[in-house]
Amino acid sequence: MNKSLNLWLGALTALLMVAALYMVFVYVPTEADQGIVQRIFYFHVPCAWVAFAAFGLVAICGIFYLWLGQDIWDDLGYAAAESGMVFCTLVLVTGSIWAKPIWGAWWTWDSRLTTTLILWLLYGGYLMLRAMADDTPQVARFAAVVGIVAAVDVPVVVVSVRLWRTIHPAVLVTRQGGHGLEDPRMVATLLVAMAAFTAFFVWLLILRFATLRMRTRLVTMARELNLAHAAAGDF
Amino acid sequence: MSGFVAVLRKDLRLELRSGESTIALVALSVLILIVLVFALDPVGGVRDASTAAGALWVALIFAGMIGSTRALLAERDNGCIRALILSPLDPGALYCAKLVAAFIFMAVAEAAAVVLMVLFFNLDFDARLLRLAPVIALGALGFSALATLLAAISGRIRAGDLLLPLLAVPMFVPALIAGVKASGAALAGANFGAMAQWLKILVAFDVLFLTTGYLLFEHVVGED
Repeated sequence: MNKSLNLWLGALTALLMVAALYMVFVYVPTEADQGIVQRIFYFHVPCAWVAFAAFGLVAICGIFYLWLGQDIWDDLGYAAAESGMVFCTLVLVTGSIWAKPIWGAWWTWDSRLTTTLILWLLYGGYLMLRAMADDTPQVARFAAVVGIVAAVDVPVVVVSVRLWRTIHPAVLVTRQGGHGLEDPRMVATLLVAMAAFTAFFVWLLILRFATLRMRTRLVTMARELNLAHAAAGDF
Repeated sequence: MSGFVAVLRKDLRLELRSGESTIALVALSVLILIVLVFALDPVGGVRDASTAAGALWVALIFAGMIGSTRALLAERDNGCIRALILSPLDPGALYCAKLVAAFIFMAVAEAAAVVLMVLFFNLDFDARLLRLAPVIALGALGFSALATLLAAISGRIRAGDLLLPLLAVPMFVPALIAGVKASGAALAGANFGAMAQWLKILVAFDVLFLTTGYLLFEHVVGED
């Protein structure tokens, strides 16, 4: 991977992250009803956005892989699933930390919590498949299919779980149609945090993608070398 | 179409002669129901429709996980899958034949499980069971569609038996929620109107997974 791109992305992420931390802990006013705990929201929402984007990317890469058969899509999908899993875990953890003082319980079977948990399990399964099928030559196609099927599943999960139950606060788009962030400083903080986590995700994704590309090249070279040796009668 | 019929007929004939899948599925369903009776301990005389519905669906997914995909996995054990792929048979037709076989095995096991559920949970044999039938049929169809596609993957991986439930259970969650709710309503004597929203989800789930399974199956059975 391009070294200067890596450096620039890392620097940008660090800068945005420091700005986001400053805004979350110093700049933004404390929310009137929930108090200090509400500040975790500025990390929680960007993590959720990044996790969803990553899982969408997994499905898109799966489609492109099955369509074009280029292993670059396979590597990108794998990198996206791994990074997405990290942020999805963070969503569940930050959500629990917030829920304990506000709802009085670490976990409730609310629709968004349940949906996120199912999503986490779906992509946990995807990564388990990757880990278990590592020595199978068709692993890329299997992973592409599971990535697509999981994405197809998500809308049905969302609808069914929403019918099942919901108590999660609707902050970004409230049931009245407006948004629940009254102070413009809150909006600014959220936007900076969003940018910070997006940059962080892109950086992680590219680093992981570069590693996977190298691995694929290594595996291909080893295979070709074996074939060349076999053709020359070395074995 | 003729390929579909030929494969399905072969699988059903094999099943009629050996009974392997259906007997295993029925036995597993019975055992799971008994385990749940001990675990939940429904006190004698209390007619709890929602607990019974939940127990039935647990039996459906866990028995189905192990037993429903035998027709597909047997092809690999016997080394026949390569011949099937080399034959002019369309992979989509192969998928449909295997999923219909899985559906039929599951339907037989479910019929037995429903009878036992009525006995174990102290319910009645009446018209309510007729309303339960479409719910279970839709659930079993969706599960067969999903499990057949995923078993084609897990069957080719070393520790695949372990992997199948890890992939299939989270994906089946929407159908499970809808199925348990609709079954509970049916057993409590609700009319179809009260079950409609859950039946819609089951139908949507089935349509989605039948379509994706049909389209993607060739990518997981093909040899490299």
